[in-house]
Amino acid sequence: MSLDLGVIWRNLDFLLIQGFLGFGNFVGGTLRLAIPSIVLGFILGIFIGLGRLSGQWWIRVPATIYVEFFRGVPLVMVIFWIWFIIPILLKTKIPEFGVALTAFVIFEAAYLGEIVRAGIQSVPRGQVEAATAVGLTPARTMRHVVLPQALKNMIPSLVTQFIVLFKDTSLASIIGFMDLTKAAQVVNNREIRPFELYLFIAVVYWVCTYSMSRYARSLEKRLGPA
Amino acid sequence: MKMMLALALAVAVLATGVAPAPAQQLTGTLEKVNQSGVLTIGTRTGSPPFAYVNAKNEWVGFSIDLVEELVKPAVEKKIGKPIKVEKKESTPPTRIPLLTSNAVDLIAGTMTDTRTRRESIDFSITFFVTGAQFLVKKGSPIKGIQNIDGKRIAAQQGSTNARIIREKAPKAQLREFPDQPAAFQALLQGQVDAYTNDGIQLAGLKAKAPNPAQWDVVGDFFSYEPYGMAMRKNDSDFRAVVNAALMEGIESGKYFEIYDKWFGAKGELPYPMSAAVRSFMIYQVVPK
Amino acid sequence: MNYRFDWSVLWTGQSGQWLLSGLITTLELSVCAWLLAVALGILSGALRTVPYRVLRALATFYVEFFRNVPLLVWMFFWYFAVPPLLPEVVREWLFSHGLEFWAAVFALGVYSGARFSEVLRSGIQSIPRTLLEASVASGLTVPQAYRYVILPIALRLIIPPGTNESLNLLKNSSVALTISVAELTFQTRQIETYTAKAIEALTAGTLIYLVLCLSIATVMGWVERRTAIPGLITGGGRRA
Repeated sequence: MSLDLGVIWRNLDFLLIQGFLGFGNFVGGTLRLAIPSIVLGFILGIFIGLGRLSGQWWIRVPATIYVEFFRGVPLVMVIFWIWFIIPILLKTKIPEFGVALTAFVIFEAAYLGEIVRAGIQSVPRGQVEAATAVGLTPARTMRHVVLPQALKNMIPSLVTQFIVLFKDTSLASIIGFMDLTKAAQVVNNREIRPFELYLFIAVVYWVCTYSMSRYARSLEKRLGPA
Repeated sequence: MKMMLALALAVAVLATGVAPAPAQQLTGTLEKVNQSGVLTIGTRTGSPPFAYVNAKNEWVGFSIDLVEELVKPAVEKKIGKPIKVEKKESTPPTRIPLLTSNAVDLIAGTMTDTRTRRESIDFSITFFVTGAQFLVKKGSPIKGIQNIDGKRIAAQQGSTNARIIREKAPKAQLREFPDQPAAFQALLQGQVDAYTNDGIQLAGLKAKAPNPAQWDVVGDFFSYEPYGMAMRKNDSDFRAVVNAALMEGIESGKYFEIYDKWFGAKGELPYPMSAAVRSFMIYQVVPK
Repeated sequence: MNYRFDWSVLWTGQSGQWLLSGLITTLELSVCAWLLAVALGILSGALRTVPYRVLRALATFYVEFFRNVPLLVWMFFWYFAVPPLLPEVVREWLFSHGLEFWAAVFALGVYSGARFSEVLRSGIQSIPRTLLEASVASGLTVPQAYRYVILPIALRLIIPPGTNESLNLLKNSSVALTISVAELTFQTRQIETYTAKAIEALTAGTLIYLVLCLSIATVMGWVERRTAIPGLITGGGRRA
């Protein structure tokens, strides 16, 4: 079986600049989708995580239902929900980028919320007691004492989840978003070189995620036992 | 004095009456396009030569040209200002939802006009005539829908072809893919024995395959597939504009020029128009 | 809202049949992939902590490479890129015996195996090294120590994260629809394309997944309680 690596070279700019970065004739780009998803997903995740720890049941229960729901359905299903239903409900058009971004943010927020919750719960109770003794309100305690320490504890798990989100962006190709995976599909259809092309994008994904996971590992070592 | 006032009033009333009417009330899609300045069409990315991504990674095709060169000028003329045409990918499972959710205004790809579909959406006049066939490796024993029992047949999920195979040949092993590239890939590599789609699309795939001589389009049309452009229901103004655009194109010959560009002897995919189809196209043009 | 609800599409016509066959396919796919993943996970997870460098490196490579590439890419890889590499006899047999199903099983199983491996590794590593040293000191060989002491404890420790990963496997099976495997999510799409009733179809599919996931999680919670070793701290108790 002959290996035709030239097919990668010839289509490199389409694969990387259009598929990976997102600049070109098509709406797409793995990074263009991944970065906002991670940022927005994390922000929503903080609220969900805090919500799950709330004393008020009318915050805690919906937050818990939210988490249990999204952890019980596949991401592909959520993408289809957003894709089909939201336009019907809102009667406006939603481009694939918006569909994918919304689906990823609300889905990942459930998982990130759990990590946030675990991180907050891992902060020793003594900290909270000391903060109260010094005179801080619960809100201030959370903001200035608990959250910063919690964040330090959860960084490794967070990065791991970010890696998962990064890989999940490939699913946006199912609805036509021209990310790295779809770009490879389009090229493959013309050139019929699945082995070279899919292996190439596997390596590209691997380089990104392996770097992120090495970083998480080194953080884990550096921060040591909490 | 009163006389003067009455006269002035009469003149005023007459003036408003004969003053040029304000821009005619635009409704539905025309209104939407007028507001946004963009006509969004849903089209394919892997169906040469109707709508596909060429070797230069540009999104082109026969259906796309019909929109750009016939429909776009007509819409611009109707609303009185220039517009942009934006393309989005639509596939058989997604095109109707994309249309009904206002994500796209017009489906211009390879959509077959059927009575069932007309219950949810409206169609323009027919802009291409073909029928369902099979794409097989040269020398394959498959010669048509009559001998596909037990064979692995690829189709696109939600297409009319898939449905007909289920009904007429339930013993065939149907493999449905979300889109054409994956289904065609499966045929190229042998994961399936045949791929079914409309004959013209199969001819297009064959021409673009790495080794065209290895593939054959076989079988009598096991369905009649007239392609139309689809739009939302109850939007007769927009539909009238689209139809007028197509009819104008046929009458003036521009349609046949575009046809020739893609399907003529020097086109992407030679597929001469039969005399019957040519007459049919011309008869679709109702008198002004 | 321009949408007419028609819940009857779920039980009239073929929808019920499709949902059922989709569910069965999802379960078949998930079980086969799970078995493969558990085997690969235990093998590579254990190998990553043994004191032999070459084995550790091999296992690490497997885990780091397969885990860090999206599952969708693996689906395409196993379905399109691998068959041309196989001997013709094997290939022809696969083509007529559900290649897409087996490609999905391998894609999902090998991918999940790498993830199970990580779960097992952290489980084993959270067991104090002194336990291994004590076992060896009392006369067991290293392999025996692993088999009779370390692994049983590790297996109990990993029930919560292991359940989590297993549920992920079940949910990830939906990606197989891209290579024409007629699993549950595929079938909900199918119902939608035939009836145009998206909300009904998606609700049915979503409910089935929720019921599946919640029941498995509940069962595993029961298993965890039944097999708990008294006095062993299992870090959390609540499923991860």
